[in-house]
Amino acid sequence: MTQNADNVLDHFNLFREPEYQEMLKNKKEQFEYPEPQEKLVQVREWTKTWEYREKNFQREALTVNPAKACQPLGAVFAALGFESTMPFVHGSQGCVAYYRSHLSRHFKEPTSCVSSSMTEDAAVFGGLNNMIDGLANTYNMYKPKMIAVSTTCMAEVIGDDLNAFIKTSKDKGSVPGEYDVPFAHTPAFVGSHITGYDNALKGVLSHFWDGKAGTVPALVREPNEKINFIGGFDGYTVGNTREIKRIFDLMGVDYTILADTSEIFDTPTDGYFRMYDGGTTLEDTAAALNARATFSMQAFCTEKTLPLIAEHGQEVVALNCPMGVKATDHFLMEVSRVTGKPIPEELRKERGRLVDAIADSTAHIHGKKFALYGDPDQCLGLAAFLMELGAEPTHVLATNGGKEWEAKVRALFDSSPFGKGCNVYAGKDLWHMRSLLFTEPVDFLFGNTYGKYLERDTGTPLIRFGFPIFDRHHHHRYPIWGYQGGMNMLVRILDKIFDEIDNNTNVPSQSDYSFDIIR
Amino acid sequence: MSITAEETQEQIVAATKARNRALIDEVLKVYPEKTAKRRAKHLNVYEEGKPDCGVKSNIKSVPGVMTIRGCAYAGSKGVVWGPIKDMIHISHGPVGCGQYSWASRRNYYIGTTGVDTFVTMQFTSDFQEKDIVFGGDKKLEKIMDEIEDLFPLNHGITVQSECPIGLIGDDIEAVSKKKSKEYGGKTIVPVRCEGFRGVSQSLGHHIANDSIRDFVFEKAGAKPREFTSTPYDVAIIGDYNIGGDAWSSRILLEEMGLRVIAQWSGDGSLAELENTPKAKLNVLHCYRSMNYISRYMEEKHGVPWVEYNFFGPSKIAESLRTIASYFDDQIKEGAERVIEKYSRLTQQVIDRYRPRLEGRTVMLYVGGLRPRHVIGAYEDLGMNIVGTGYEFGHNDDYQRTTHYVKDGTLIYDDVTGYEFEKMVETIQPDLVGSGIKEKYVFQKMGVPFRQMHSWDCSGPYHGYDGFAIFARDMDMAINNPVWSLTKSPW
Amino acid sequence: MSDDLRQIAFYGKGGIGKSTTSQNTLAALTELGQKILIVGCDPKADSTRLILHSKAQDTVLSLAAEAGSVEDLEIEDVMKVGYKDIRCVESGGPEPGVGCAGRGVITSINFLEENGAYDGVDYVSYDVLGDVVCGGFAMPIRENKAQEIYIVMSGEMMAMYAANNISKGILKYANSGGVRLGGLVCNERKTDKELELAEALAQRLGTRLIHFVPRDNIVQHAELRRMTVLEYAPESDQANQYRQLAKKIHENGGNGTIPTPITMDELEDMLMEFGVMTAVDENMVGKTSSVAAAV
Repeated sequence: MTQNADNVLDHFNLFREPEYQEMLKNKKEQFEYPEPQEKLVQVREWTKTWEYREKNFQREALTVNPAKACQPLGAVFAALGFESTMPFVHGSQGCVAYYRSHLSRHFKEPTSCVSSSMTEDAAVFGGLNNMIDGLANTYNMYKPKMIAVSTTCMAEVIGDDLNAFIKTSKDKGSVPGEYDVPFAHTPAFVGSHITGYDNALKGVLSHFWDGKAGTVPALVREPNEKINFIGGFDGYTVGNTREIKRIFDLMGVDYTILADTSEIFDTPTDGYFRMYDGGTTLEDTAAALNARATFSMQAFCTEKTLPLIAEHGQEVVALNCPMGVKATDHFLMEVSRVTGKPIPEELRKERGRLVDAIADSTAHIHGKKFALYGDPDQCLGLAAFLMELGAEPTHVLATNGGKEWEAKVRALFDSSPFGKGCNVYAGKDLWHMRSLLFTEPVDFLFGNTYGKYLERDTGTPLIRFGFPIFDRHHHHRYPIWGYQGGMNMLVRILDKIFDEIDNNTNVPSQSDYSFDIIR
Repeated sequence: MSITAEETQEQIVAATKARNRALIDEVLKVYPEKTAKRRAKHLNVYEEGKPDCGVKSNIKSVPGVMTIRGCAYAGSKGVVWGPIKDMIHISHGPVGCGQYSWASRRNYYIGTTGVDTFVTMQFTSDFQEKDIVFGGDKKLEKIMDEIEDLFPLNHGITVQSECPIGLIGDDIEAVSKKKSKEYGGKTIVPVRCEGFRGVSQSLGHHIANDSIRDFVFEKAGAKPREFTSTPYDVAIIGDYNIGGDAWSSRILLEEMGLRVIAQWSGDGSLAELENTPKAKLNVLHCYRSMNYISRYMEEKHGVPWVEYNFFGPSKIAESLRTIASYFDDQIKEGAERVIEKYSRLTQQVIDRYRPRLEGRTVMLYVGGLRPRHVIGAYEDLGMNIVGTGYEFGHNDDYQRTTHYVKDGTLIYDDVTGYEFEKMVETIQPDLVGSGIKEKYVFQKMGVPFRQMHSWDCSGPYHGYDGFAIFARDMDMAINNPVWSLTKSPW
Repeated sequence: MSDDLRQIAFYGKGGIGKSTTSQNTLAALTELGQKILIVGCDPKADSTRLILHSKAQDTVLSLAAEAGSVEDLEIEDVMKVGYKDIRCVESGGPEPGVGCAGRGVITSINFLEENGAYDGVDYVSYDVLGDVVCGGFAMPIRENKAQEIYIVMSGEMMAMYAANNISKGILKYANSGGVRLGGLVCNERKTDKELELAEALAQRLGTRLIHFVPRDNIVQHAELRRMTVLEYAPESDQANQYRQLAKKIHENGGNGTIPTPITMDELEDMLMEFGVMTAVDENMVGKTSSVAAAV
């Protein structure tokens, strides 16, 4: 017995104690009927080969460790970005438990969301009654200013019609007739969480702009000088949105952030639980119709929303998660072009500081090979930044990337000598990535928390990037956009590089001749 | 003096009951009439001597109220089947379910992941629109072929159905049967745990239990493994090895002289499942999720089962003795020896932490077992449970709860976000123990919190070794300096 | 999508001659200068056969399954042009007994709308399988889809039963959306008192019998040649029947009523009234022929 009241052993150390090691060994040998050790080793080594890689890439039906989630998650995320809005997901209730947990594990924040709790009878008879009761309960209990409805795959398979259901619910008095209940069909078997974000945001905008499902006249656009800004599905929403606001304020730009999740995912601990905080006001959402232009930071998150906005007469500027110097330059210049506001000296200075930092450190990054995976826009943004740093984005993978994305990444590779020999993988998963890392090793891997399994298996150091990040805290508070965001990413990359160098040079009398204190 | 104390105690209980009743009336006010009527049946104040807690349970959640419950898929894939480490569990349907439940339950295991072990991986059929429209059976066949090809050391496959599977009428049983035959009798288990079935995770447990019965125990043409029995063989049932719980339990059973032949299902393997009917006794921790299969083994194989509780030294000692009572004196002595062996550690833990926790109040809201099972551990540290409730308990759970709770305890079944928040706000407990969805709500309110599903990245909490961690964690949560900072000083 | 686009749908029990009636009527509509798109919403994919002179055209869903997803399809892949430039799309769907045909209808219609299939046509006509069996098959009657529904029926009991059921489906959506019942089209089966029955049912359902299409073998002759009567024998009386129906639908101009479906008992009472069904002898129920003989 080694447990100790004064120095309590946690799981990581407790089970390494001899009595537990002995116990686990016996369990395995006597009761698990394990595969023989030599067979295990043989297969383990085989999974690292080119032969295995080829087999792995021949997969047509099975998906293993995908880097994507389903539509309603994105819809819930988008809905949370509106003032006092309760996301309401029509379908099975377990889904909502999952979205809430998933978002809370990343942001370390509460996630409010309700379900219409459809069960077997609703599968047969449709979920109208669940909608009628559900809207009434949510409205009374949580007093939201708006309820944004999306769907789980259950409701989509049986073909529930949200428009008709919401109207009927209003007729039955669940919520007042003029109450805002925008909706979006978000089938989980189409696209991914970024598609759901797109559909939900489009649903909200068309609700306010196009006559609230035929109940009021459509708004008439009265152009003004403001711009709209859409961040997309973004695990860094807190830091990013605040940075963008700071930049716009510096430039003197009048703006509306659409689906602004920066407050709701960063509420203080001060004795009160805020179910709602911040978010785009409903007035601003309606008035966003009048803006001069809309900027989307993640074009693949707004594939349907931007055309809707363009149809209403605005200019739309679609970006792919601009990161680093050139991409931020382009973003700022576009903002400046659209608004006519000059880019202030302050930002030029910030730019210079980022360039300065890169210049100081570039020797350590130059020529390094990186693998990265994530959402399509984030991959594009990061790959461009890496090439700007003189690094090679050797493997770029997006499970939810399509042909158009693939072509865009190729074009990006072709634009720089550092893209030579780099490859893009659309629709592939992290088990594919595992084969890539074994057969064509790189120096570092960028990815979300699930990437730690790749780090463990292949020994490729992981730099956490994207969503979800469950096992490191507070990254979402730091921007990756703007020059300041570029600085954050640069430091994160450098820290990992230096840690790795130190870890590789710290064996006394063997490798520690290079254990330099100045790097 | 004693009379006065009793009177005071009585007065306190009466006041608590009155407050709790008023609180229930208060929270019900927010609901539309129909919902208030339904929710009223799930809220109560426990009256000593009553056979249950006086609440309705295991019935449908009300739409739109923010229930904390999950679904049948979560009960099967997430709880019962997921931890079986040498099998591959296919999340069959769209990508989300498997993604959100990927490695989030901390079912510890030993094995080479991706080679002979697969717990922390997400295998999915990633259904696309065409699979819904044309059906997914052919895809499922191909998936199994690809699994056999790329993961040759897997010992079996389960098909964990997501909602669409049942709606479009796929015949996963036929596919499983066909492929099992093709692979020379491999164990392939179709599980009909579509999320819309039942009212919570609970039906998923039951469906998963039944699938073990039908496709593991009663599998046609199964070849029995070589296995030498001993008179002291037991199986741990209903321990998911969260943070290593089953390990810190197993070690005690082994130390008292028993031989643990299987773990269900934390760190479990297919072989262990198959050999379980050879046990002399099944010891059942999570009654809610695995009583079904325990009853089956009792009826079919004559294996008795006994519930036990390894939270906190009082319950551990009681449980060790109960388990030993099924065996000979050698084991009974073994139980006493184990209790004695750990008594010093236990005393040290209590000496160190009880003074810091004495009299502190706790509200719990967990799944189907812990709302009662952990109470003893808190009481060993001098803490009081002032409210408790189950996400997916049944009436038999609320009956068992009466052995744990005190007169006047607030009981809430399938609590809604609103109710829980109001109750905590009014009662102001020193600690709330619940899940990830609740954690940050209460921490914002300045109330210390521990996740009692996943042990909040900690654990194990089972057994004597686990109790030390439990005590340390509760102290760390409650007596944390951060809670003195929540109010700005100006 | 232009604002004056007319969207109509034909529903009716399987085998009632719904596709034949709709194609002939739509062919006649072209003579009124209308540009037409037919959207077949039946997994059998035979809603456009007479217009295209061939059956197995590539359906939206079969091509999507091949390509990977609907997003990979181009509208040209699925839209064929037939008689009198009528545009034809078949949704298609799974083999009987697998998958979810209803979801297929939703998928297809979403695809067509998003890809501009409705641009430049005056009429979209949905031809929908049998009954409104699930949410998917109700897709064409949702808001912003078909404004008026025509139910093809006959004097047979099951056809009338189906017509009543379809009315229930329409009623469900009529209050929230704008869908209306345009009328019944009776496709003559030569049952007893067929015209009177059809008119009576129309009245009970709160609609009208918009046309009674007499039975004529020329329809079969045309069908053997995979043609509409309008094309095969444009001068025939039958062709004129379809022209009349087309004219009535066109003149209907998107109007209709909210149907008032009746209960099963009321339907049976009505059939009895017309002598189509005799009152059930309670003693007879559940007795086999041998038992009945013994009594």
